[in-house]
Amino acid sequence: MITLENDRLVIRFPEVHKDARCAIEFQRTLRIPDDGLDYPLPPGMGRFPLRHVDDYARRMPTDWLRRGGVLMPMHQAEAMWISFESEEYPFAVKIATGKVCALTGETWMNHLNTDPQDYAVLPDQPWLDGYCVAQGIVRQFVAMPLGQGYTVEEQLTGEAAHGGLQLIAYPMKAERYQEMMAKQSAGAPPDEFVAYSPIDSASMGLAPGGRMRQEIYEDDYGLDAWDQRHASRCFITIANSLQWMTLTGERPPTEAPTAREYASAGLPWFDYFGGDLTAIADTDKLRAISSVAEIGAANGESPLPENEPVEVNHVIALRRKGSRQVREVPADLTLPR
Amino acid sequence: MTQFGTYVNTARRRLQEHDRRYSLRQVARRIGVEPGYLSKIERGQVAPPSEAATVRLAKELDQDADVLLALGGKVSSDLQDVIRKRPRLFAQLIRELKQAPDHAILRIVREVRDGDW
Repeated sequence: MITLENDRLVIRFPEVHKDARCAIEFQRTLRIPDDGLDYPLPPGMGRFPLRHVDDYARRMPTDWLRRGGVLMPMHQAEAMWISFESEEYPFAVKIATGKVCALTGETWMNHLNTDPQDYAVLPDQPWLDGYCVAQGIVRQFVAMPLGQGYTVEEQLTGEAAHGGLQLIAYPMKAERYQEMMAKQSAGAPPDEFVAYSPIDSASMGLAPGGRMRQEIYEDDYGLDAWDQRHASRCFITIANSLQWMTLTGERPPTEAPTAREYASAGLPWFDYFGGDLTAIADTDKLRAISSVAEIGAANGESPLPENEPVEVNHVIALRRKGSRQVREVPADLTLPR
Repeated sequence: MTQFGTYVNTARRRLQEHDRRYSLRQVARRIGVEPGYLSKIERGQVAPPSEAATVRLAKELDQDADVLLALGGKVSSDLQDVIRKRPRLFAQLIRELKQAPDHAILRIVREVRDGDW
């Protein structure tokens, strides 16, 4: 089951194991320059708000309502990263944008695959910032309108049919978890009716932005460890600012500072070291995708404002174990412009 | 020490063992209070801080804000708003559920609906 708690998707499988719980949230962040250089990880600047699509059924386009799930606002060309949290219980989580896997570029399949691996393993994987375009390198998730050819969905399927973000989580088999724990302990409400017309259903999708250093780790447990009889999945529809305000009556969060403003203020960026974990390799499909800036240049457009390279001087190295992985700065951070 | 102070002190020290950024001084600065005040909170010499400061502290220490507020004898204002809007309904619901086991309460929690995609 998935519940929505304080703008986080909390996934529980009480029918599998009482400890089988993880949480997924979407962090606002600055957009790193899409200039071919490899950047460290940008900070988190607070969670994007999430709302049940069912709460706004009266004005929701039929397609959006049919998918269920939640609604999230993003400005055009805004960036985002995904934060995973699981205390101990391992999960396999697939992430797709426009129903295209962010790790392999393959079209959506509910089940897990290992060749190539199309899922992240929690809790080893703390974050996912983008599409795996080379071993140890991702291209940042950047929101772009569907229909302009920038999204990964459009680049790889030739269609702008879905947009948004999709996820499915599988818990580890309970008996496998108990074995693992044993080994470790031996050693250590509905809307009022108002006659509104549905909003414009032009959706937002995610596209590949700048490059950053981030490893996605191989599954050390093996496919047999995952309980594929139990799964929870969710469609995250991305609304642009106007759609979000029209539907929810709330203002979306303000846009994050630019990479230049952030770096100039001497604020920290991050590198993450996964210890002895091995990074998965990239796939032919995702290696071949073009970034937003590259497509824009080819079309004579400038889709990414403030895209100049920045010099990063303050990088905090985070390690896999022994320390809480803090990658957030205060959500109300204001920077001199 | 109060239960609130002990809880905060334990959580902060656990983080400080691995990361010096969780010193009393640095945590106090990040949540916008004086180090001396946070020290007194941890030792139970003053009452738990305001709701806003408690929420900042919970976030900083990666703790559940509702749990920390409850330890400080508070209920978050958003929950109070929810109850005030439909007091009879929510009062009845909460009273009926007060003895229910966690798994039974989770069963009535609203799930995110998965649709056709």
